[in-house]
Amino acid sequence: MVTYDLKRLAAVPTAAELVDIVLMRTQRKTPTVVHPGYKITRIRSFYMRKVKFTQQTISERLGAIVSDFPRLDDVHPFHGDLMGVLYDRDHYKLALGQLNTCKKLCETVCRDYVRLIKYADSLYRCKALKVAALGRMATLIKRQRAALAYLEEVRKHLGRLPALDPTARTLLVCGFPNVGKSSFVNKVTRADVEVQPWAFTTKALYVGHMDHRYLRWQVIDTPGILDHELEKRNVIEMQAVTALAHLPCAVLFFVDVSEQCGYTLEQQKSLYDSIRPLFADKQLVIVANKVDAKPLEDLSADHQQMLKDMCAAHDPDAVLVPMSNVTEAGVQAVKDAACDVLLQARVDRRRAAAGGSRLRDKLTRLVATPADAAQRRPALATALPMGADEDRGPSIPASVLAARKAKKLEKRAARAAQDADRLELAALEARDGGHGSTTDAAQQAEHAAQQARAIARDAEAARAASARPPRTTERERMWAGGGPGVYSGETSREYIGQLRCDEFATDIQPEIMDGKNVLDFVDEDVLEKLAALDDLEVETDQTLDQLDAQLEAARLTPQEAAIIKAMRDRQLLARNRAQASTNRRNAPLPRAARLRTEEAPPADTLRGRARAAAEKRGRSLSRRPDDAMDTSVERSKSVAREPAAKKRRRDASRAASAHRSSSRPPPRNEQGLDGQAAQDRARLLQKKAQKKMNRMARGGEADRKTGPKLIRWMNEGKRRSGTSHHR
Amino acid sequence: MCTRLQFEGSNEIGVVSMLTNGYALACQGNSENFYSVLESELGDHIPVVHASIAGCRFVGRVTVGNRRGLLVPNMCGDQELQHLRNALPDSVVVQRVDERLSALGNCIACNDHVALVHTDLDRETEEIVADVLGVEVFRQTIAGNALVGSYCRFTNQGGVVHPRTSVDDLEELASLLQVPLIAGTVNRGSDVLGAGLIANDWAAFCGADTTSTEINVIENVLKLHDDDSDDGAPKAARMRDALIDTIV
Repeated sequence: MVTYDLKRLAAVPTAAELVDIVLMRTQRKTPTVVHPGYKITRIRSFYMRKVKFTQQTISERLGAIVSDFPRLDDVHPFHGDLMGVLYDRDHYKLALGQLNTCKKLCETVCRDYVRLIKYADSLYRCKALKVAALGRMATLIKRQRAALAYLEEVRKHLGRLPALDPTARTLLVCGFPNVGKSSFVNKVTRADVEVQPWAFTTKALYVGHMDHRYLRWQVIDTPGILDHELEKRNVIEMQAVTALAHLPCAVLFFVDVSEQCGYTLEQQKSLYDSIRPLFADKQLVIVANKVDAKPLEDLSADHQQMLKDMCAAHDPDAVLVPMSNVTEAGVQAVKDAACDVLLQARVDRRRAAAGGSRLRDKLTRLVATPADAAQRRPALATALPMGADEDRGPSIPASVLAARKAKKLEKRAARAAQDADRLELAALEARDGGHGSTTDAAQQAEHAAQQARAIARDAEAARAASARPPRTTERERMWAGGGPGVYSGETSREYIGQLRCDEFATDIQPEIMDGKNVLDFVDEDVLEKLAALDDLEVETDQTLDQLDAQLEAARLTPQEAAIIKAMRDRQLLARNRAQASTNRRNAPLPRAARLRTEEAPPADTLRGRARAAAEKRGRSLSRRPDDAMDTSVERSKSVAREPAAKKRRRDASRAASAHRSSSRPPPRNEQGLDGQAAQDRARLLQKKAQKKMNRMARGGEADRKTGPKLIRWMNEGKRRSGTSHHR
Repeated sequence: MCTRLQFEGSNEIGVVSMLTNGYALACQGNSENFYSVLESELGDHIPVVHASIAGCRFVGRVTVGNRRGLLVPNMCGDQELQHLRNALPDSVVVQRVDERLSALGNCIACNDHVALVHTDLDRETEEIVADVLGVEVFRQTIAGNALVGSYCRFTNQGGVVHPRTSVDDLEELASLLQVPLIAGTVNRGSDVLGAGLIANDWAAFCGADTTSTEINVIENVLKLHDDDSDDGAPKAARMRDALIDTIV
């Protein structure tokens, strides 16, 4: 599905502007100089280019408009229908269709005139054809004046439509005009919808947003709907109907029970019945509004029954909530009821739809089992410690607990006071009723009211007892003391209560004295440290004495010393002698100079094992002696011992040089040739190939040639001006 | 109650302040607005002290403490130290620590019983942490981050850790710390919990960008709800519905 950005459509120029734009662009972007002396083909292409360019620009601009504006079938059905209602579906489609046709006509004009220009035989004729072509295209555009103007209006209006998300959580407010829909929206959201005491104050859809249950909700205020057939409905009403028809939402149907809106309850019921088909699959809350003017209890029995029937007609669970915008009674209840019922429906739908392990996993992490609830485990996925061993409770100051208790008491007092009010009212009513059976009830109610009053008084007293005087905050002091940037707080205030004596708080603390940091010299336990040092010194002295005594005991006798000296001398002598006996002949040979021999490595080394394994598999580690490229073991062992026979074969002669690395590759002219026979043959072929060349004494393919470098203009003859075709 | 709060337009309130069960520190700002929010919530119960470390405002990132003690880094000046000692109760031991990783608040996270420390922290510092704060010390990482102080915040009642902590890690940490833990965020999805949240056993403050869902997660796990919530449905259940509707 194409996504349209209804808020950011490009402006649509008027017909005159569009013509200007197109012609200016042609003027700026195509060459402007042409001479009658040019070749006719050049003149023709000059004008053809102008015509084609103009047509391209027109197609581009019109095409952009046609593709930018949303196609009514491609947008969300709500938006599609709303636009259909607001801008007249046929008109909208026609306008876009006309632009498309205009674009096509321009293309035809262009094609025709380009064809004509091909046959033009002078600059003048070309120019005349071009002017005709551009003129016809401009006329075609000018004929679209109405369509373009209409589309610009549509664009402006689209940009001002409320940003309504058809898939979000939505509460939709509907009902007769003047029943208090906009007032409710103003109450629950920050939308500022106009409220006036006449019908159709709200002429369009308005959207407000609110936060409820940690979620964001959009509340849509619709224009009032009158009770007549769909065909007779005007544009204003149709907007409301469109929203009802296409948005998945909770519907708040407003009923004015006081009938101040000018419609009787029967008329409102009949409207409800006629638009009820639109409520299918939606959650419904019927709001009995303006109960401040006429409480529900004051309605006649059949009216009350009628309201109940309205609920039951949609869904047995649909609720009826009394509300008043004036006293704000029930506003919160309406909001809660609608949001809860919609959220519940959405959650149920998601749970039912949640397939796949990932979703299920998410759900299990989010949803606590009843067992968890019973053990008061947290409902969200929380890692709990395996077993709390010791007492590691919270450390909450007593004052905090007291404050919490006071808050609770305050709440209880307020609740008890409310209860008392209610009970007293009930008692009064019961007494007014005056029947014998109700007197007892009245007495009971009075008694209960007195009790509630007493509870409220006690709670209030307890709270007052624990109340603290209000605190002057630093912020208040700041504003009193000149505001931010001017005020500088007293540090000493923070010391109050923390020092041994509160008077110390304002003492001047010396920081630097005689160029020394005072705090470097301040030490609370300097005496203890000194005592500890003294102790340490005494201890150290004692230890040293003991060590001396031990050393004395361990000293050698003269005889022992003499023996040790003799031993050391003998060791020295032996070492010197050993060094003197090593001579040059034993100097180690460098590794590279050593003869390479390959004896079988011991079986316990890695190489030995590898060799044994290879032999077992039937492979030889050395190459065969007839291998021409070989530099192998046998050679170094046996052939190397042969007297240097006058063989010219390299492998044999090379073996004598034991220093040369045996891994060096054979000479280039022997590489890749298998054996002596192949080498001989290669040599023959080479000679044969060169025979002819040698006989002719010519340069071969490998000879490098560099010809003389001649510069063209220095070596060619002079030319007259105007003959050169290159610059 | 978890209160939303800003310091001079910044949501990272854990950088400029720290909160324990015994005291709270706040830096000296241009105005007293930030300090006064803390003061009005906590001032009746614990001292709230203006503090600076090395003349800078990042008090919360370079100090660590609980109700028994406060550790400040080596760069803390003598006068600053003296001010802290004067302003804090005698039961709080203020100690300067000679540690290479001087952002102690980033490297150490603790409550009154347990501390998690950076894996590269000095052995000496570890001992000081254990002695001064009276805690068991564990060298741990959180979701692969060595800066344990930045990526978690826990009290004696519960804690929030980096959102990418795996379930296994979460359980291991929970059994080390002996408190319920949850993976969460503050400030509209920020994972630096140490910077976005300050908390003790009975109060918490978070950055002003924190969403109500985040606040509710935090209040739930830190047990900051009032016991007598008026509505019938438990808050957690209601929040679950909201989460299902948004996430699933």
